[in-house]
Amino acid sequence: MANAFGIDLSALQAFQQAITVTSNNVANANTPGYDVESIQLSSAPPQANGLGLNVGAGVVVDGVTRAYSQTAANQLNSTQAGLGSVNALQSYASQIDNLFGTTAGGLSTALQSYYNAWSTVSNAPSSGAAREALLGAAQSLATNINTSGAQLQQLDTSINTGITSDVQQINSYASSIASLNQQIVTASASGKGQSPNELLDQRDQLVSKLASLVGVTTSTNSDGSLNVFIGTGQPLVLENSTTTLKTIANPFNASQLEIASSDSNGNSISSSITSGDLGGLLAARSQVVNPALNQLGQIATAVAVTSNAQQGKGLDLNGQLGGALFSIAAPLANASVANQGNASLDVAVANVGALTADNYQLSYSGSAYTLTDLSTGASVALAGAGTAANPFTAAGLSIVVSGAPAAGDAFLIQPTAQAPGSLSVALSDPNGIAAAGALATSAADTNTGTARIGSASVIDPTNPNLLASTTLKFTSPTTYSINGAGSFAYTSGGTISQDGWQVTISGVPAPGDTFTVASNVGATGDNSNALASANQQNQGVLGNGQTSIGGAVSTLVTAIGSQTQQLNTAQSAQSALNSQAQSAVQSASGVNLDTEAANLLQWQQAYQAAAQALTIANSLFTDLINSIK
Amino acid sequence: MRVTTGLEQTQFLSAINQLESSISQTQLQISSGEAFTTAAQDPVAAGLVSNYDQVLAQSQQYGTNGSAAQSSLNTEDSTLTQIQNALQSLRDLALQANSGNLSQQNLGALATQATQIQQTLLALANTQDGSGNYIFAGYNTQSAPFALTATGSTYAGDQGQRQVQIGPAQTVVIGDNGDLVFNQIKTGNGAFTVSAAAGNSGSVLVGASSVTSAAAYAGGTYTISFTSPTTYQVLDSANAVVQSGAYTSGQAITFAGAQVTLSGTPATGDTFAVAPSANQSLFTSVQNLVNTLSQAAGGPTSQVSLSNSISASIENIDQALQQMQDVQASVGARLNTITTQQAVGTSQQTQLKESISKLQSLDYASAITTLDQQNTTLSAALQAYTLTQGLSLFKYL
Repeated sequence: MANAFGIDLSALQAFQQAITVTSNNVANANTPGYDVESIQLSSAPPQANGLGLNVGAGVVVDGVTRAYSQTAANQLNSTQAGLGSVNALQSYASQIDNLFGTTAGGLSTALQSYYNAWSTVSNAPSSGAAREALLGAAQSLATNINTSGAQLQQLDTSINTGITSDVQQINSYASSIASLNQQIVTASASGKGQSPNELLDQRDQLVSKLASLVGVTTSTNSDGSLNVFIGTGQPLVLENSTTTLKTIANPFNASQLEIASSDSNGNSISSSITSGDLGGLLAARSQVVNPALNQLGQIATAVAVTSNAQQGKGLDLNGQLGGALFSIAAPLANASVANQGNASLDVAVANVGALTADNYQLSYSGSAYTLTDLSTGASVALAGAGTAANPFTAAGLSIVVSGAPAAGDAFLIQPTAQAPGSLSVALSDPNGIAAAGALATSAADTNTGTARIGSASVIDPTNPNLLASTTLKFTSPTTYSINGAGSFAYTSGGTISQDGWQVTISGVPAPGDTFTVASNVGATGDNSNALASANQQNQGVLGNGQTSIGGAVSTLVTAIGSQTQQLNTAQSAQSALNSQAQSAVQSASGVNLDTEAANLLQWQQAYQAAAQALTIANSLFTDLINSIK
Repeated sequence: MRVTTGLEQTQFLSAINQLESSISQTQLQISSGEAFTTAAQDPVAAGLVSNYDQVLAQSQQYGTNGSAAQSSLNTEDSTLTQIQNALQSLRDLALQANSGNLSQQNLGALATQATQIQQTLLALANTQDGSGNYIFAGYNTQSAPFALTATGSTYAGDQGQRQVQIGPAQTVVIGDNGDLVFNQIKTGNGAFTVSAAAGNSGSVLVGASSVTSAAAYAGGTYTISFTSPTTYQVLDSANAVVQSGAYTSGQAITFAGAQVTLSGTPATGDTFAVAPSANQSLFTSVQNLVNTLSQAAGGPTSQVSLSNSISASIENIDQALQQMQDVQASVGARLNTITTQQAVGTSQQTQLKESISKLQSLDYASAITTLDQQNTTLSAALQAYTLTQGLSLFKYL
């Protein structure tokens, strides 16, 4: 009899526990990271009774276990990292996409207005209104590029902010994991083999959150503690100790943050972090924001350099050779803070056509310089010697090294990154617009031959004698003298060069025929230089003469659009993978309320049965007592 | 697969989110009327639209340029017509003066008339366009190019010719500089001039002259000299005889690829100089005529020398008329070029607008159908959710 009471009691206790576990499951049905728990029951070992029979001794609660799949959890962590990275990238790309729209933020319109304003000046070169309108259009163009540049810079700043807050968050997760490790080890040791389910759930939840910030790999130790590694295997948590991440300034560019860890000796580990939000932010900077800024800068540089060059070939209304219309910052060249030598670089744009939107690194080995394109990783051939007299030329740049570099010194060259922010209109006087050609050519009225002189084109605007008057006099149909001196052979249609200009005379001259090339001062109706300026929009200015400036804007629009589209697709794919992984985890570990309801009924009925059995045992016992009475 | 309550919720929410974002996208398309608002929605089309927009704006600017060029060429065209009219009156006047039966007083009146025509020509040569620019000044459009002097005129302009871009690879010259139009007019018949020596005592009139063989004609100066009233010889600049023969009035004398017709009775020793044509200003030619007429009005002159002078002037006026016609023909050709280019530009613009519209404009029918589908899906999803939410065992406990 006593036996039955014991069995019933064990059953009532076990089922009560089971109902508690089920209630706990129901209570946590919506708790993130909660893994469904189940009670583990086993029958108590039989005890021999007086009759020699082995009768069971009731039920024993072995423990409460959580439904957990390591595979599903790993899968989830890996997709969390992938999604975190692509989310960050996509967010920056789509911001630029929205910013640029289909007109590169109005750039193509502003650019077209600028060239159309030149065309209008060419229609009325002496009109003050047309000149004012041109200055206005140039100002709008500069403002447009400044604004887009500032917005891209803003994105760079927000990437820095993101990196800083990610690093703080990662450190906080890491120390929480380390402290949970400690608690889990203690709880496991004192829990007589019972697993601390809630602590494990919390830790798994933290690892999953950590994975969305920076991709992780984990390994579990025999004592239940978890090691967490990031990047290419850098330890973040080892049992209960952590490695702290921190941000450091880029050695070349203090305004750009990089990642270092407490045991990386101040070296950047950014390159090894490729996943999670942090990896996504680093990639957004190097693959999305900076390339867009550089491409915009390439366009700005092309506009400024070509416009200024054409200005220099013409005369303004004041009779002077045109001054620069735009001012723009020179390419940026930064020495690494680690450099041992005292060398510095002076970099200028030498050839807009060869200019790229890439950044470069110039390294000194102790005996030779190498230039590397940081976008492609390819080495770029350097011509010249790097001296002021014979500068290095490569990628459309001229590079002069001054001071003494030490072996291992390196410099970062950003040819166009500064351009969008620094483009401004340098000219304020509408009369300063050089609409007229610098030189006028004329044939003497007394000429009797049929030779005609074309217009003079300026080859070297810096020639001091450019505007000096020159007389070409034919001494015979096949020879001419320049300013009365020399005798040069004449070929019809051939080019005659002097004082930084060149002209073409064609036809048959008579002896004594005279042509004059002289300063075009006073020619307020001359529009030839304005015409040439307006025509620059049709010329292959970039890409070694292949791409017009307007074409480069269209290319920029398409490039940003395609990149964003690709990232949108990648984001959808990663989200799908992530929700699959989440489903797998939920499927393995989530709470299904119907199941719990069924379980509840099951345990309730079992409890009721056990209670009934107790009643029966009790009545048997009562019967026995009564019979003895 | 085991479905859990939490999973059901998350999946439902993410599906609803996605549906709502698609609906908002379609809504944006419909309200903006554009198939895409950012490049990411259709990168290739966005690049093309950006490109087409630029070409279109440029083409429209070329259209504006063409209209401006048309207006200034039209001004030049009508000015040239008026110049020709003035020259024609001057020519008629000269012919009248050369008729041989006018009194000194009549000649004086003609001289006054010629002076007036000269003023008219000056005004026409200093024509300004609508913006106040002198059209015959070359690039020096701000100051009047021509001013009369005692012997003709001065030219203050230059030889510039302004070009206007009317197509991607097409420019057209607007205006012709005054130096070319008014100053570079050949004298005589365009190749050479024939003039009677001042001391001739015969009554020979210089008639028509021309180059008969361009291959044989080498320019140079010649003198036709009468060795007797019936014989002549032609000397070159080195006084060598290149041709000699018997003189018949009105019969052409031919030498070195050139031919000169003289008529009348020469005196022995009369000479006629043949010299290559030079450029002469229209105003000099007119001034010469005025001088001739005034001189004749001032006192008796030999009819022969008056007639020879007037003939020379008529020849120069004819050259000027020819020059104006040539320039006008070239203006006409340029106007034609602009018209053609304008037509090309207009059709290009229509095409571009069509292409842009095809790429960028929304297909409303399909967009509205899409919206309808998306709406249906969303309401179905919402309904399905409420239905499945009702399915809980707890309700039956």
